[in-house]
Amino acid sequence: MDAADRALLEKTVRDAIANARGPIDSTMDVDGVLVELGWLEMLETEPQSAIDIVFTALGTTNQTATALDDVVIAALGLEPSADLAVLLPRFATWDCPGRIRAGDVHAVGLTTSRINRVTTVVVVCESDAGLQRVLVPAVDADVSPVSGIDPDAGLNLVRIEHGAPDAAPLEATAWESTIAAGRRAVAHQIAGATRTMLDQARTHAIERVQFGRPIAKFQAVRHRLAEALVAVEALDATLTAAWDEPGPMTAALAKAAAGRAARIVATHCQQVLAGIGFTTDHPFHRFLKRSMALEGLFGSTDDIVVDIGHQLLAARAVPTLIEL
Amino acid sequence: MEFPILAFRAELNAWLDAHHATLAPSYPPPGTLDDEVAQMQRVKSTLFDAGWMRWGWPERVGGFGGSPMLRTELGAALAGRGLADPGLFSLIEVLAPTLIDFATPELAADVVPRLLSGAEMWCQGFSEPGTGSDLASLSCRAAPDGDPHTASTWVVNGQKVWTSLAQYADRCVLLTRTGPADSRHRGITAFFVDMDTAGITIAPIEMINGVPEFAEVFFDDVVVPAERMLGELDGGWAVAMSILPFERSSCFWQRIAYLYRRLQLLVDASSDDDRTAETLGNAYLQLHELRARSRATQHRLADGAVLGPETSIDKVLVATAERAIYDAVLRLLPGVVETDDSVAGETWRTEYIYSRAATIYGGTAEVQRNIIARRLLDLGSDD
Repeated sequence: MDAADRALLEKTVRDAIANARGPIDSTMDVDGVLVELGWLEMLETEPQSAIDIVFTALGTTNQTATALDDVVIAALGLEPSADLAVLLPRFATWDCPGRIRAGDVHAVGLTTSRINRVTTVVVVCESDAGLQRVLVPAVDADVSPVSGIDPDAGLNLVRIEHGAPDAAPLEATAWESTIAAGRRAVAHQIAGATRTMLDQARTHAIERVQFGRPIAKFQAVRHRLAEALVAVEALDATLTAAWDEPGPMTAALAKAAAGRAARIVATHCQQVLAGIGFTTDHPFHRFLKRSMALEGLFGSTDDIVVDIGHQLLAARAVPTLIEL
Repeated sequence: MEFPILAFRAELNAWLDAHHATLAPSYPPPGTLDDEVAQMQRVKSTLFDAGWMRWGWPERVGGFGGSPMLRTELGAALAGRGLADPGLFSLIEVLAPTLIDFATPELAADVVPRLLSGAEMWCQGFSEPGTGSDLASLSCRAAPDGDPHTASTWVVNGQKVWTSLAQYADRCVLLTRTGPADSRHRGITAFFVDMDTAGITIAPIEMINGVPEFAEVFFDDVVVPAERMLGELDGGWAVAMSILPFERSSCFWQRIAYLYRRLQLLVDASSDDDRTAETLGNAYLQLHELRARSRATQHRLADGAVLGPETSIDKVLVATAERAIYDAVLRLLPGVVETDDSVAGETWRTEYIYSRAATIYGGTAEVQRNIIARRLLDLGSDD
């Protein structure tokens, strides 16, 4: 794909997602739009472009989809389908969500809203026989919608207690690489959200006049926005690195960079937006809240950073990870 | 000649492994500035003889050709192994390209190999007492002996400051005022000046870590031959600006390699607990963000892009990461910077203090944010 084709595809996807009728479950929701755009085919043939473009667009538009299920299911080596959901780790963790004990599955985790529309949910479980992927009928899942700070994020808290599981073994590293795939996707979505927050604050700074001039003229305001752009650009670079050298560490760093960028961008942009940004008349709050909901998927920034630090200390090594 | 970068990196590292004993400093770190400069020149000489120093430079100045990324890779390897200080070594990147692009072919072919081989040291005479962030306001004057277009010599009067390693330098790339006093960037001309010319006085400046890395340089009726003009008359701004792509790419990559090495030493010296892990993890994250950004910048440069204001992002990230690493040193090695008189303590102290300048040199943090706001965010002028 050359740069022009890529830009056209990005715009097509973004416009289609932005124009989809929300909320979820209406006649042509974002998931329906993604199916029409050939999301699953693209995920299979060009996963990097597919995930980058779709999740960035979800972030910039603040739309809700269930494409994360497909990314995680594909990372587990299964074929994604609209009839298959997956149990994600609980909020702010990246532990395997399920256990198999005495032949029974005990699991708790998050799902997207897809759990309400499928017949089967994939649960990754630890067991005495190693890592297993288990297929559980969705009707056996205890689903509680999570309202929380962002009811539109479509998250659910799901508990599963199930006997006689349909289980198959996974490679020992399967969970690690699944977490990495999820982290890359969510980091793209957060990156999209930070771009929009910065756009909103920039527009406001140019249009808002105080003391007889646009507040964009004040250096204090300019420097806040500059700080935000540095964080956004740094995040983009870590995402490129996470695809160029795919692995658990580059994905963990990208997700941590996303959380850091979201915090920096939200702080500065909210301050620049000031009063209007504190009202529901302005859309900023949706992006702030969504980025907080996304922050907890596959581990919080602070916990990931501590984990990375422990890895450096355990190995007594500071890997450079990416080369020229 | 081409040398694929992967093969270059592998062969270079194997060679550096095999020759470590002869290349390693003979003095205990941090060493004096005299030690460090002598070490760098010795390493350059050895590497030039072995050919490594010649890759990535044009054949017309004694190089072997190939991508400029090869020399970036070399600088990073030396910094990462502690064989040359990146701040000193990467001066090559802001000096040699100037001669290659703006000197006469004869002059460039004569002098660039001397810089690369460690036979000579050069310095960069840009900043002045009244010219910090605002380079275009410089006032050190060059006056022609007669008509400016036909003069055979120019006479320089004025003062430079923050001139790195001037006391060791054989030559200076000097920016002078040749237009009216208020001509700003339109009236500046660059010259290549021999530092042993009569009328040049050098006064080293001691930094707060005790190292006299910079100097004041005074010019009193210093006569410079017209053929030493670099670029066009009144075209010095282009010379100054041409350095930016190198300063913001290869120089940064060398600094980054050095910072990974320092973080490695800090990890080696730290115990494993959550507080330590959080501090190290954060420093590592910021270093990774910087490395990822810098790598993208160098690939853009290698693909033919013209680097511009977007490199202010790289500059902010370098400064932030460097400070973060030494903030971590202060936090994780209690009392070392403040009270440890061992060799290790002296090294951390010197480096910690130097890291406080990261947001000042090469364009302050504030100037970078002004550029980002105006040029990248398109917020309009601020007046």
